[in-house]
Amino acid sequence: MPLRSSRLAFTDVSVDDGQRVVAGAVLARDPARHGAALVSPRGGRVHLDGGDGTITLTELDPAPVAPADYDRRALLGSPRQRLVAGGAWQCVADAHTLAVPDPDADPAAVIVSTLHLEPFGLRGDVQLRRGLDAFCRGLAGVQSLLDYQPIYVILPDIRSRFARHVRDELRGRAWIRRVEVPLRYPLDHFTLLARMLELPSDGAPVWAMRTEGVLAVDRVLGAGLPCTERIVSIAGPGAAEPTHVAAMVGYPIEQLLAGRVADGRVPVVNGGALTGTIVPDGRRGLDAECTALTLLPEPAGRKLLEWMRPGWRRRSYGRSFLGNLRPPFAQRMSTALSGELRACVGCGFCEQVCPAGIMPHVIHKFLYQDLLDEAASAGVERCVECGLCSYVCPSKIELRRQMVDAMTAIRRGDMEGANV
Amino acid sequence: MSRLEAALERLRPAFAPGRRLSRLACVFDAAETFLLWTAEPTTCAPHVRDPLDIKRMMALVLIALLPCVAAGVYLFGLRVLVMIAVSFAAGGAVEVAFAAVRRTPINEGFLVTGLLFPLILPPTLPLWQVALGVAFGVTVGKEIFGGLGRNLFNPALVGRCFLSLAYPAAMATVWVTPGGPWPGRLAQYVTAADTHALTGATPLWDLAADPTGVWELFIGRVSGSAGETSAAAILLGAALLLATRVINWRIPAACLGAFAAATWTINSVGGQTFGPVAGHLLAGGVLFGAVFMATDPVTAPATNAGRWAYGALIGVLACLIRAYAALPEGVTFAILLGNIASPIFDEIAIRWRMRKLAHAP
Repeated sequence: MPLRSSRLAFTDVSVDDGQRVVAGAVLARDPARHGAALVSPRGGRVHLDGGDGTITLTELDPAPVAPADYDRRALLGSPRQRLVAGGAWQCVADAHTLAVPDPDADPAAVIVSTLHLEPFGLRGDVQLRRGLDAFCRGLAGVQSLLDYQPIYVILPDIRSRFARHVRDELRGRAWIRRVEVPLRYPLDHFTLLARMLELPSDGAPVWAMRTEGVLAVDRVLGAGLPCTERIVSIAGPGAAEPTHVAAMVGYPIEQLLAGRVADGRVPVVNGGALTGTIVPDGRRGLDAECTALTLLPEPAGRKLLEWMRPGWRRRSYGRSFLGNLRPPFAQRMSTALSGELRACVGCGFCEQVCPAGIMPHVIHKFLYQDLLDEAASAGVERCVECGLCSYVCPSKIELRRQMVDAMTAIRRGDMEGANV
Repeated sequence: MSRLEAALERLRPAFAPGRRLSRLACVFDAAETFLLWTAEPTTCAPHVRDPLDIKRMMALVLIALLPCVAAGVYLFGLRVLVMIAVSFAAGGAVEVAFAAVRRTPINEGFLVTGLLFPLILPPTLPLWQVALGVAFGVTVGKEIFGGLGRNLFNPALVGRCFLSLAYPAAMATVWVTPGGPWPGRLAQYVTAADTHALTGATPLWDLAADPTGVWELFIGRVSGSAGETSAAAILLGAALLLATRVINWRIPAACLGAFAAATWTINSVGGQTFGPVAGHLLAGGVLFGAVFMATDPVTAPATNAGRWAYGALIGVLACLIRAYAALPEGVTFAILLGNIASPIFDEIAIRWRMRKLAHAP
């Protein structure tokens, strides 16, 4: 079980090396994120690997079945404290900053998104089909934490039978506001949803969670059990059989992917194809925030004059391939960069696709000259890191990475300024 | 193509840093990526990328120019192809020299400049002047600013401007009469010595007094620059470029709209008769300039509001230069003046947008 993931760092380890624990015991907490807990998914013997930053469990007990099989000593206190100790609170994010919010503060509103629009990511409808009742109970659980703040449930604007069924189930509850959103990435991003719902960023925090967060709330508050299992999608063009699996934190990734990978060298991405990070070679288990493992094949060999070929099997935003004449199809994606790094030519594609309404090419030119203040006033902090600008750029500029680095530098500069 | 890859791999060590040919590594790299493209994978998010790249964008512009090339060869003879070859050779030599000295990759932009430049010259221009013009254009118009993506002026227009001012007689007084019915001049090679095929004037000289028929102007069977005369060919190219989003439609729309409005205004308000609007739109290089030169994404503004202003400025200036300056053709200078103004249009549009963002939620 890695102790670090994209938002969390469980630095406060509360077990000793060699100690035996029971399923549900709190192994570590993240003090910087309001004590979010890393919960042991099974009983076993703890091995601390300080250098690696992981906790390994060996000599595993059988999977817990009854509530008595769990260590529920930490699940005491107010509902919010129980959510933190049960490992459910890390599923909640502040919509504007995406950080883990303070469980004791009162939010202005709650956004529950049933959509996962990133390509090859975890699907919300798969989780809803598995447990729509649990989802509704979870929504009631979320509502019990609030006074009268609204809960916005984001649904897709499709008319399938299951979608209608979900809508019917949610109808009739005064504290739920249903919002329908087209199935276009990245309209499921929390920050974009908060801006669309006109929830200001400078007032009370806006909590946001996805389907798995609501199911986790139901598990802790409804069933009274800690969260030991998560749904992970294994998908991508490199996956032999795309599927969703129920896995626990720390499950060995190699075993998870055994038999599921198509031939060839396939890098594994933790997260979706556009915002995920490549799983480093030394990483052995699923981290506490993993929801998707995307398998993207490396580019196939090079063909003669490939950049000039008509491209029946390729599509682009610039509509310059024959594949653009076909109806939308799932073109085979790979990790091919498809071109060389060039200077910005001012084509404006990045600005056309940006969902946050900023101008990535302008910010890129400011950052090229290290003008961080100008970049900040050009709106780099409104970036939601969706990756569409980098996706579309024909000059293959790493716009997303430059935006992320700039935002980190600005935040660090703000903190240093505040300390002074 | 494993044999090709194997051959390239055998040659690669000769261009490694430290070897004698290391400065020409850019040539090897250009040849390799031209033949085989790149196989680099992504290293950070997003891990999948759009398959369009700059090489393909340039290739689309080249394809869009082919109708103009075909029209030019049909109307003015095979010498147009020789001019294109000389332009590529001279421009390419300059590009390779700069890339070798700077140790950067050879940029693909010169492919477009190399094809665009001869199309805006008279078909009988001496070949050495073609070479000089393109070398000057690529050097002063692009390379001294830093290469692809960093230039302020359109390199082809800088070259043409230089030639117009340095060799005004050859550039403005010797034109070829267009080829007639099929096969036109497809099998001919017209040089400055073939006086029977030459003429001293283009339709622009006398548009007010002796207007050429609109149909003739549209299909291009008039004298003029090598690739500029046929509006039909230009529009075919424009359709391809607009469909593939390589050029932004606002610039040609603003340019042609403003040009037409200014022409109409001068005709109705100014004391002189300037010439019919349709005639002026189809004669000379306005259409070619609006579609292929003004829309160069590097030198045009990057904001939509800026693009409208830029196109309008070019249209108005082209009309004014034609009407009131001693030159019959003003598009070259109008676009260069527009290039100078494009950063300030962008600056205004960006500041306005930044002020709007500061008040957004």
